[in-house]
Amino acid sequence: MVQFNAVTREISIKVVYYGPALSGKTTNMQALYQRIDAKVRGRLMTLDTKDDRTLFFDMMPVFFRTRAGVKVKLKLYTVPGQVMHESTRRIVLQGSDAVAFVADSRRSEAASTLAYWNNMLKNLEANGLDPRTLPIVIQMNKRDLEDARGDDEISDLTAAIRPPVIGAVAIRGEGVVETLYALVQRCFRSIDKQFGLETKWQISEREFLDKIFAHVDMRGFTPPRPEAPVR
Amino acid sequence: MSLSPSFLQQRLPLQDLLDLRAFADVCQSFSELYRVGLKVFDEAGNKLVDVKVGNADFCGYIWTKPSGREQCIATVGRVKQDAIGEDPSATAFQCFSGCRYMAQPILYEGDVMGRVVFGPFVPEDLVSLPASLLGISSDFDARLAEQYQTKIRRVPNGTAEKILKHFMDLVDVMVFTGHKNLIAAKLHIEAITLSYRELQEKNRALEDSYGKLKELDRLKSNFLATMSHELRTPLTSVIGYSEMMLEGLGGPLTAEQREYLGIIMEKGENLLQLITSILDISKIEAGRVRLVLSEVDPGQLMRDAVATILPLARKKGLKVSCEPGELPRIQADRDKVRQCLVNLASNAVKFTPAGGAITVTAQVLPPEMLAIHVTDTGIGVGEEHLPRLFDVFYQVDGSSTREYGGAGLGLAIVKSFVEAHGGSVHVRSEPSRGSTFSIHLPIQGTLVPAVTPVESPAPAPRG
Repeated sequence: MVQFNAVTREISIKVVYYGPALSGKTTNMQALYQRIDAKVRGRLMTLDTKDDRTLFFDMMPVFFRTRAGVKVKLKLYTVPGQVMHESTRRIVLQGSDAVAFVADSRRSEAASTLAYWNNMLKNLEANGLDPRTLPIVIQMNKRDLEDARGDDEISDLTAAIRPPVIGAVAIRGEGVVETLYALVQRCFRSIDKQFGLETKWQISEREFLDKIFAHVDMRGFTPPRPEAPVR
Repeated sequence: MSLSPSFLQQRLPLQDLLDLRAFADVCQSFSELYRVGLKVFDEAGNKLVDVKVGNADFCGYIWTKPSGREQCIATVGRVKQDAIGEDPSATAFQCFSGCRYMAQPILYEGDVMGRVVFGPFVPEDLVSLPASLLGISSDFDARLAEQYQTKIRRVPNGTAEKILKHFMDLVDVMVFTGHKNLIAAKLHIEAITLSYRELQEKNRALEDSYGKLKELDRLKSNFLATMSHELRTPLTSVIGYSEMMLEGLGGPLTAEQREYLGIIMEKGENLLQLITSILDISKIEAGRVRLVLSEVDPGQLMRDAVATILPLARKKGLKVSCEPGELPRIQADRDKVRQCLVNLASNAVKFTPAGGAITVTAQVLPPEMLAIHVTDTGIGVGEEHLPRLFDVFYQVDGSSTREYGGAGLGLAIVKSFVEAHGGSVHVRSEPSRGSTFSIHLPIQGTLVPAVTPVESPAPAPRG
């Protein structure tokens, strides 16, 4: 849940990358770390205990100050993918403002992807988050692999479900910025609608996105033309 | 929804992210290495670390002059509080004494967590003491001050910035590591708390169903007790009237009628015995058994039990021997101990094939227990069955086509009765070689409050 501090004029937003083990959540984060200028992001924190594997998640802060002097901090998290880390997953998901679901596009992974999708819906609800209103973006990762679902299947999926579907090869950095862009955009609109970012805090969608993406290596990605927010 | 989300999003003060004592040690050695003082303040302006190197005499001397003291306090205040921006760069503060300070914000995740103040040092370009210092007092001794000032390190500005940058890099790593450790620890605790809560919920559900099962079991025992009683009453009449007919009270009988009546009586007795066993076990389970203790001759009880099973054993072609030997009298419930021995002996007969032998022996187990053993050369019991042998309704062969009859109550009754005496039951057995069942009874009857109910059968009754 987005936090506002009216005294210090700060806004803190939480974005979570969810998905099955080995679907590429950390790879997404690492690619973003490479592509975002150190001026607007902190270190990539990886809690990866190889010995007992109790914890496994990544966190990277992205921050900027708006023209109106509001400090915005966007924290990106990944959840641990292994089945056994259910409680950690639920804790990390607490109070999310937007979620990217990173799926492995291979047909062989379809069952596990579906299971994790349902697991995510369950954990969102357990945290009092409504999957119908929470901004969610689906990333179909590993599009370069042999068994991956074809473009036609992806567009069928896009037509069938509400969240946007973005193809990606995170290991090569493809689709990673697109996913973040779609996510941040939806996140802004959702928070703006609830709390009036533009009216009360003088932050427009354009400024919000520019403050981040002006510092992102955008090679190979043209942001969509600004459009009227649709629901 | 409340606005108090997880600890992951909390902003923490510098003190929580650094181990202050260890951090002070690092600052100390850093200052000693570069021979320049170092101060660290948190966001609220609290001083966390203060290391002084070389300036004690110089500043101490200035401090002795009232005007010097005043200006010194003002300088320190500026260094500590003046805005220095939110960029990772150093701001220089000039002291009226000609010394210099450099201050830089500690930034983490884009937030200002505090500031580091490097100094005082003497700028490389300072040629002589400035007028602002010389004028603080009429009796100011410039020669002495100059002498003191040589103890403070001279640093070119560029070098000061480099040293400070190096220190800021160290702080950054320490803060990051501290934050990472803190999150890891908190997440561990949160995850365990969550798992604990879930386990507690499951435990509660299990306890509930356990309570329900116990209640059902109690109802079952009550039902059995009532039903056994209800079954016994008419059965007594069946047996009684058969007996009366056999005695000719209803008129003369043909040989065939006698034979049939004999069978009715025998089967009636069997049925009665079975019902009595069920009644016993129900009473035990309901905790309603009371012992009537008296002085008992165990040898007599052993002979009684053997006498009871002797006709059946003879019919099966088994050799039976009873060797009580010299035994002390014991405090026990005569009927219950006899029934235990009869149950064990009957089992021995049932499970020993023709030509086998049954031996009933006894021995004193010092200091104050008496053991009675019933040994047979029968089919024995596999090791895997031994732990559950004394459970209610337990049958080694639970199939419907099993060779040996019985309700699976005999041993359970033995165990309950013996334990009610404060004793114990034991079994040693080897398949196809035979078994020895032993009961250990205290010689001086122990008072066990009421009776220990036997364990209820774990699975559904079999056989």
